[in-house]
Amino acid sequence: MAANYWASTQRRHWLFSREALTDVRERLREKDKVTHSQFPLPDQRLLNIYFNQQLIKLGKRMTTRQQAIATAQVYLKRFYTKNEIRQTNPYLVLTTAFYLACKMEECPQHIRFVVGEARGLWPDFITPDVAKLGECEFALISEMHSQLIVHHPYRTLSELQTELALTSDEVALAWSVINDHYLTDLPLLHPPHVIAIMAIIVAVVFKPSPPGAYLGSAQTALASTMREGQGMNMLAALTDKPGSGPPKIQKLVAWLAESEVDIKAVIECTQELLSLYEVWEQYSEKHCKELIGRMVKSKNLDK
Amino acid sequence: MAVSPFASRSPSLTVSSPNAALRLRAAAAQNASGPVATAKSVYSADRELTEQLNDDVRQKYVKDKRLGEGTYAIVYLGYLRDNPSSYVAIKKIKVNAEYKDGLTMDAIREVKYLQELSHPNVIALHDVFSSKDQNLNLVLEFLPRGDLEMLIKDTAIHYGAADVKAWMGMLARGVWFCHENFVLHRDIKPNNLLIASDGEVKLADFGLARSFADPYLNMTHQVITRWYRPPELLYGARQYSGAVDVWSMGMVFAELLLRIPFVAGNTDVDQITKICEAFGTPTEENWPGVTELPNYIPPDNNHLIPLQGREFFLRQFPTAGPVGADLLMSMCALDPRKRSTAVQALRHAWWTIEPRPTKNEDLPQKSGAKKMGEDLGRRGGEIDDGMFKNAARQLDFGAMK
Repeated sequence: MAANYWASTQRRHWLFSREALTDVRERLREKDKVTHSQFPLPDQRLLNIYFNQQLIKLGKRMTTRQQAIATAQVYLKRFYTKNEIRQTNPYLVLTTAFYLACKMEECPQHIRFVVGEARGLWPDFITPDVAKLGECEFALISEMHSQLIVHHPYRTLSELQTELALTSDEVALAWSVINDHYLTDLPLLHPPHVIAIMAIIVAVVFKPSPPGAYLGSAQTALASTMREGQGMNMLAALTDKPGSGPPKIQKLVAWLAESEVDIKAVIECTQELLSLYEVWEQYSEKHCKELIGRMVKSKNLDK
Repeated sequence: MAVSPFASRSPSLTVSSPNAALRLRAAAAQNASGPVATAKSVYSADRELTEQLNDDVRQKYVKDKRLGEGTYAIVYLGYLRDNPSSYVAIKKIKVNAEYKDGLTMDAIREVKYLQELSHPNVIALHDVFSSKDQNLNLVLEFLPRGDLEMLIKDTAIHYGAADVKAWMGMLARGVWFCHENFVLHRDIKPNNLLIASDGEVKLADFGLARSFADPYLNMTHQVITRWYRPPELLYGARQYSGAVDVWSMGMVFAELLLRIPFVAGNTDVDQITKICEAFGTPTEENWPGVTELPNYIPPDNNHLIPLQGREFFLRQFPTAGPVGADLLMSMCALDPRKRSTAVQALRHAWWTIEPRPTKNEDLPQKSGAKKMGEDLGRRGGEIDDGMFKNAARQLDFGAMK
């Protein structure tokens, strides 16, 4: 975290309303209908899951931080609000986003190493020429108007840990929920503190049993619990009068009421997360890989 | 304000050159043989609007003569096309030359922080645009009246305690603002403190800046030009705070008073020795934990210098007066935990006692001022002297984990 979120370029230039975001994407689609029908791609969230997995693979042998992966994911989202994905080589773009994000989050990696790793993973899509990555970096920075600082919800989570007396299990689960929110459009739609609070509520209200390791994502732990609907009712209670439910939740409700955080936004985020976990069931890595591969490859051959 | 010709201080939009984007597109089709032409036309249609935006920004300025050149940038004088008397400095980052390694951390850091920070005592970034040869151009506030180093060195200029108070006040406010926004500058020294045409001091060169690390994460200790580097960094501390900038501020303060650098070591070890001689030997008593720092050097027990007290500062810096000496002492505490923070420094009694700080318009200034950007041949963290070449900055990747 650097600088003040309220005065940040993230808040001023990269926060969309849902309608505006749909609009931006619709316009990209309108411009190139043919390619769109020619190369169907999976649901954006499924693509995001795929990209996230690729980023994690890429970062595996380097000492990267979760926060750099998160920043890279936000860069991808920002970039693809300006560019049609079907006009790019997603593997190059995600490698570049990763490379730039590492520099930005103060865990820089040498360009050769990054290209080497990327080539090892996707030999068909990444050339050994590091200048390609350099050029793509320039394009990425330009498309983002050199606005590179990303504010993440992780810091808010750690700050609220003591205040809300969260257990380490709850923090771990909330952390995983934050990891998962990068698979949705939420980082473009809501400020980081709203996301952090959503993650805390989900962790406290939907606390899965038995608690355990969440391995980065909360999907397996939460998907079924959330679908059972019990949690949703409890969440609805958040907006009603406080005073029901277990003491911990009551305390959270009281705190929220005083905090002036936009509760509606928090609920919207929860629903978005729930629908992510639903759509996740359809995820197939092979399918994503094939569609992207076909798109990138045949754009070389047919045109 | 110096040259602030824009209604809005928020840097406006910019967009990549068609070139870069095209190559990006071409990279997608790496083995393409014939299709490039079609692809190009599709792409350019796509890009008309964004290109137009970038062109609008670029067209706003006229690049004039070159002011200086550095390792990663060339600085030009520029002005608004609509108003030739409103100057700006255009810092062109040499992207092409750096392609093989991507953009340098210096360039990235500078853009990253200046995009977000806006304060009267921090150099303003008005715009960013890219030019057709794929260079990133930063349009910066033009600061024509040189820097504090020139004023200190120019023996023809006489200045007094009230002037020092004015300059230090502006420096302290700039540093406070950075820290308030969780940014460490890490290269505060007189020649990074530029002076605007109205006399305002501006913190410049964010090539070494970074945001506060998350708790327990390491940062590099290879920052800050040696003479302004605090003892904890010389001892290799990997976790530190705004206190490092406060030490540098103290050194600038001392230098303004003495008109020569106060502790000017020839090597890092010599720097520690000189700091010990000046302020006292760090020990477990006056700085708990110091002996555990990675590069801690045990002192010669026969030459332990006691921690210097108030009398020492008064004797060394009579022009500061007792209250000024007290402020300086608080900025030069060896133990970073005992050093004052930027806020504490700003709340010190010295600012409100006589003499009052000189008004900006009455501050002494150099006549034939050196132009901004002239010293760009140096990298940040280096001293203008062959002897100390490559002193501070070895930002190797290994050290930054």
